[in-house]
Amino acid sequence: MVLKTLNDLKRLVEGGPRKKLVLAAAQDQQAMGAVVRAWKDNIIEPILIGDKEDIQNICASNNYDIADLRIIHEPEIDKSVEMAVRMVSSKQADILMKGKVGSSTLLRCVLNKEWGLRTGNLLSHFALFEVETYHKVIAVTDVAMNIAPNLKDKIAIVNNAVTCLNRLGYTMPKVAVLGAVEMVNENMEATLDAALLSKMNQRDQIKNCIIDGPLAFDNAISLESAKHKGIRSEVAGDTDLLLMPDIEVGNVLYKSLVFFAKAKVASIILGAMVPIVLTSRSDSEQAKFDSILLAAAASKW
Amino acid sequence: MEEMVLKLKKKHRIAVAWAQDSNTIGAINEAVKTGFIEAKLIGKSSEIIKICKDGSIDDRLFDIIDSDNETDASEEAVRLVRCDDADVVMKGLVGTDRFLKAVMDKEKGLMIPNAVLSYVAAMEIPDYHKLLFITDPAVIPFPDLDQKIAMAGYAIEMASRFGIEKPRIALIGASEKMSRHFNNSVDYAIMCKMADRGQIKNCIMDGPLDIFLACDNRSGEIKGVTSPVNGDADILLFPSLEACNPFYKGLMLFGKGELAGLIRGTEKPVIVMSRSESEKSKYYCIALSCLMA
Repeated sequence: MVLKTLNDLKRLVEGGPRKKLVLAAAQDQQAMGAVVRAWKDNIIEPILIGDKEDIQNICASNNYDIADLRIIHEPEIDKSVEMAVRMVSSKQADILMKGKVGSSTLLRCVLNKEWGLRTGNLLSHFALFEVETYHKVIAVTDVAMNIAPNLKDKIAIVNNAVTCLNRLGYTMPKVAVLGAVEMVNENMEATLDAALLSKMNQRDQIKNCIIDGPLAFDNAISLESAKHKGIRSEVAGDTDLLLMPDIEVGNVLYKSLVFFAKAKVASIILGAMVPIVLTSRSDSEQAKFDSILLAAAASKW
Repeated sequence: MEEMVLKLKKKHRIAVAWAQDSNTIGAINEAVKTGFIEAKLIGKSSEIIKICKDGSIDDRLFDIIDSDNETDASEEAVRLVRCDDADVVMKGLVGTDRFLKAVMDKEKGLMIPNAVLSYVAAMEIPDYHKLLFITDPAVIPFPDLDQKIAMAGYAIEMASRFGIEKPRIALIGASEKMSRHFNNSVDYAIMCKMADRGQIKNCIMDGPLDIFLACDNRSGEIKGVTSPVNGDADILLFPSLEACNPFYKGLMLFGKGELAGLIRGTEKPVIVMSRSESEKSKYYCIALSCLMA
């Protein structure tokens, strides 16, 4: 199954039990907006932890009817985050979401050795884009979390993303390892890592996906371009997942897609016990809503 | 190997450096009588004539050039090839170091500028269904990526002279898995992708593969490994000289293998064989050099 639009994610959560989402430091207008909407759409069952008065004020001024919602009063931000994380690690919630708290504070709690959400996997950022000019949604990793991943990190990043895509119904996602060129060039580290990842995939050391790389951006997403270059590849032109060489390339691509191509985006953090919705303040409410939807679809419980 | 001899159409001229060695002269005599070479033997003419007499070989079949030391003999043999009075140069009784010094001399030698010097051999193994080319059993101790790429190129070129258009080349390791602990597996993955992308041409390449997966088509099925080489390798590229050398010697000793090898990276074929090599191996080497000339 292939997702054509982000809205297709809804099909994955329909009919199933509603996932419990815990919003840490919930007194955040945009986060609340997205959470309430996802709640009304029956996608999630929210638990709000934060300053109750602030939360109620936000709801009142936006006419959110939250009479049935579970709100836990904890005005101290650090404590509210810790409480949210503990709820997840004790399996009382399926999704963690960031409210009015810095990403670093939230991640520090996620990585807490005693009560955090560590699994032994690397944490990585996973984004799903809906772009008019591509025939399906395209996943991109890692555009926001790992700065300059080495080969080992890239393996972990691919594994995180592939596990997520498998849950979204892609049995064998096509993974393009991005480079500036499709040729192997000893002076471009990314092309060497790409060759190694391809071979590890052939040898079943990276499973449940088809990896090819290096592929330049154009041959990854355009069959015509791949044919023009004479590339024989199962992935070229039909990529489900783009693996970025580093955060700089990834972040620029992410922002180009959003600002120039008017792409819709949903993104989550993978590699912890549950998906984490960690959108930034600059993300639209729609992006936050779609990210919640993605987290619900990717959540295993 | 005999099929290779039958492929030889044209007579080639061979210059042998420090030729007073009975095995070498025996092999040269066979090749002259079969009709694919003319030979110039450079060395102590009295000794050469005596060896011929002892072996009941007609010394008038050869052009004998007198020389009284191995350095001069080596330089003279190389010079003959350089000025096109010979097509192939062969080492006789001279030590390999001294002989290669003449070959590798920057001004008067036979090196292609900046080329990687390596060694490719063809092996006939009774229990394998075709010739098997191996590299490098003799020259590069620990080839780096660029050297491995050059080695693959030389082996592909040699296989093509045997009429194998798209040889299957297996990059040999201890296992088919990629591992950080085996640096060679990293080079191999890079080379495979280069072959995918047409940066290494005219071959079907896979690696790392162990020798079972490379040469036994049942192994892939048993291990659950799909490989385009599919147990049908034409070429084995080894990670090091110390892996390749015992492989071929073991096969010669225990598997009744025959070997013919050549130095590659030179302008003209250069035959270097160990002095202990049999007359037959030397004969096949001479034939191979003519095929590659």
